[in-house]
Amino acid sequence: MDDSLEQPSYQPHPPKVSFEDNDNENEELSSGDEDEGPDWTKLPTVSRPVIPKRGDKDFEPNADGGSNFQKHVLDRSRNAMLEALRTERNTSSKSISYGIWYPSLARTHVTTARGIHFTNMGHSVARSTSLPSENDTAKVPKRLELLPEEALYLVERGSMFCWKESEGHLGLPGMEGEPMSVQQTFAEMIGTEDLTLEKYQVYAYLKRLGYVVMRTKPPTSAYPAAAPFDKKVPPKQSILAKLFSRIHSVLLGLGRMIFQPKFNWWRPLKHSPLFRFNMNYSSVFRSLRFLPGGHGAPLHVKPLQDSSSSPYEIFYNIYKPSTNLKKSSPPAPDFSVVVINARTTPVPNLVELTNLFDVLPDLPPPVPRQRLAFAEQKKLAQATASSTPAMTSTVTPPSEISTSGPPPKNLSIFNKLFSWILPSSSAQSSPVTRQGRPSQQQRRPNPFAVLKSGKKLVVIAAVDASNISFFAFRQGLFEEFPMV
Amino acid sequence: MSRNRRGPQGKGGGARRAENNKIYGDALPITFPLSTDYNEDKSLSLLARGFRIGGTILNPNCEVVFDKTTHSAWTFSSRDAMILWRKGFFGKGDLSRSEPSWLSRQINALKAAKKGELTSEEIREKRRAERKQFKIDRAKAIADAAAEAEAAFIEGREANTTFIPSGATWKPQQQNVQNAENVLIVPEEDEESGEAVLEEDEIPQDVEHLQLTLQETFFLSWAVNCLTVHDPTKESPMTLQEIWTSFQAVHCITPSHDHRFDNPFIINYAIYHYYRSLGWIVKGGLKFCVDYLLYKRGPVFQHAEFAIMVIPVYEDPADQENSPFQLENSDPMSWTWLSTINRVNSQVQKTLVLTYITIPAQSRISPTVLSSPACLSHYTIREVVLRRFIPARMRD
Repeated sequence: MDDSLEQPSYQPHPPKVSFEDNDNENEELSSGDEDEGPDWTKLPTVSRPVIPKRGDKDFEPNADGGSNFQKHVLDRSRNAMLEALRTERNTSSKSISYGIWYPSLARTHVTTARGIHFTNMGHSVARSTSLPSENDTAKVPKRLELLPEEALYLVERGSMFCWKESEGHLGLPGMEGEPMSVQQTFAEMIGTEDLTLEKYQVYAYLKRLGYVVMRTKPPTSAYPAAAPFDKKVPPKQSILAKLFSRIHSVLLGLGRMIFQPKFNWWRPLKHSPLFRFNMNYSSVFRSLRFLPGGHGAPLHVKPLQDSSSSPYEIFYNIYKPSTNLKKSSPPAPDFSVVVINARTTPVPNLVELTNLFDVLPDLPPPVPRQRLAFAEQKKLAQATASSTPAMTSTVTPPSEISTSGPPPKNLSIFNKLFSWILPSSSAQSSPVTRQGRPSQQQRRPNPFAVLKSGKKLVVIAAVDASNISFFAFRQGLFEEFPMV
Repeated sequence: MSRNRRGPQGKGGGARRAENNKIYGDALPITFPLSTDYNEDKSLSLLARGFRIGGTILNPNCEVVFDKTTHSAWTFSSRDAMILWRKGFFGKGDLSRSEPSWLSRQINALKAAKKGELTSEEIREKRRAERKQFKIDRAKAIADAAAEAEAAFIEGREANTTFIPSGATWKPQQQNVQNAENVLIVPEEDEESGEAVLEEDEIPQDVEHLQLTLQETFFLSWAVNCLTVHDPTKESPMTLQEIWTSFQAVHCITPSHDHRFDNPFIINYAIYHYYRSLGWIVKGGLKFCVDYLLYKRGPVFQHAEFAIMVIPVYEDPADQENSPFQLENSDPMSWTWLSTINRVNSQVQKTLVLTYITIPAQSRISPTVLSSPACLSHYTIREVVLRRFIPARMRD
């Protein structure tokens, strides 16, 4: 359908008459109906464009090649769409922000910041505006700057007007440079600071859904990205415990040597007469588990190319819309997103996936479903809400939390994480979990839910000519949850 | 599937579940009569007559014959077929979709014919015919509606609303009902007994056998040690060594292909054994575009939960280059292919699992270990669970 619209033969301005009677018809059709299409209708325009309501599809053309009625309906819908697209987009001068794009820096300096966008977009950079020879004397002023995708997003949605830095017009504040069209903004900004068109499309899509999207790898030190995940969160063993586990494994091996003959590869099922009377299905299956499984096993795969050139690198940290994010010190993200071009990049191989999982934290176990009365749920929610702020100062010792220092909002996740890894320590350190959800400690999560949610999660956005497919790749842990 | 889940007696609800638990409760053909939770029941003691009792393990000692051309092994007694299917869901009836039920279906059909009833297969056929008719009727109604809309558009009047049948409103037309009634009318109601009785000579001979995949055969004979494999060309049963080499040789065209870590039999066996040892019931997944399906307890109890796509990973790319085998999914995969498989499986409520198995490099491990199953310890298996991620639904 898109192709036919792009045909030069298409008549761009249909007769005015047909429009008028269309408008009247469509008024009734779309009244009181929430259209799920794009936001075109929501633009503040003088003559509000009307998108026709989506009806049933005629998927079987008539044998004679489409009836007059079908053609009429189709033309009406097309005209409405084109009319909506043609409508001039206006923005109030009181709500628009202004910025200057510096191609050499790949940043947009926000000269006038308006609206709520800047609560989670942009970062402040100390940047001297004067000549380099003078800057060591005075304190360098800080200013608000946007990454290319941030500026492009604001320009595209009509929230910001962008100038391009120009050497001729320095002097008037907020009026330096040459104005840029949306088209020019796209042309100038895509390709700078690692921003590909695919990455911008993913950024804009997630932003429109309300997510807070930040870069994973800070482009400069001034960019406040979340600290990389602490790789060594789980093994917090004391030396004594290590020693003990070492002795234990040695003893176990010794016991195996004494009580069981050497593993006979032609008779894997152990028929040791000593243990014969205790045999049951779970012992049989256990003795058959000699194939190395799980992501902990050493990987001897020779990489074809060096891993640094792999397109599979986490690019965005995203936070759910409900996150109350402090821009200057973002917490650990809710999801980590890789963006690739699906046309040119194959599905990640095992080495690439392993490298991705290696930098990611373990997920908390899925919360078992609970059947609670509504009143109980309400009480629980209140109790959690009231006691949360107190927790940061008193409960968890700071050394146990990773260096990024998560704010109160994310502490519950961390608690879950710790209770997953170190059940005993979290039981002591999180009174909220203990009081608020007493049954959670006893209740074992459903093994299917655990297997499906996996141990680690990376989101890969495969962009195929601007169609984005998101996939959740989760590190499996089948070896930890046998069915028998 | 639903027919199987109903169990052989066709009972409903809890009774059926209890019955299924009794029949299909054992996870393996070997049983442990002295275990604490074991209650010897009548049916088993009957079966146990043929068993050689050794210690506390009851080993049924089933027998199969290796068929090289079909890459499978066949049972030749219905007793073995029943044990292998019921205790661990091994194999497949060659005349059935899963459980070897050909004989009981034949008997049901004969009984139904005697009583003038429809067998479940005939009911299914009737339902399909009705569904086809419904689609034809609906298409006609839609075409009529379109014609009416066109006529109204030309005349400039409001189109009359026409009725388009849906699955809920559509009823089979008169002729179909009559056809069905002709069959359904019971000539003479047998008041005394609800069940039709077949004479001894009316019962057909069971011509069905159970066929095991090579993975299942090796698992049962090697790991569980309850299966004897015969070579049709030889007198004595095959030794484990013979089984191990001849199952690999099935994939080898020339002897130079021997002793390779990427032999399809070994790779598939490693995956099969791995999930079996974790207690899953592993069945083939061809229907869903994948290599294996994992059932928690078996197809009789629940639908498969996970769909396993095996992705072989060569440790050394050189081994792949000179390999005589074209291993499925070992090359870089396109997103289209992955999406296809994921769509198929999410449609049937299964979670797609990419199971990566590493193939040891010939340069790292000497191929001499391939002479015995000891080589299995050099493969590693890891899963990646795949799902579509829909940001619009993850906002909370």
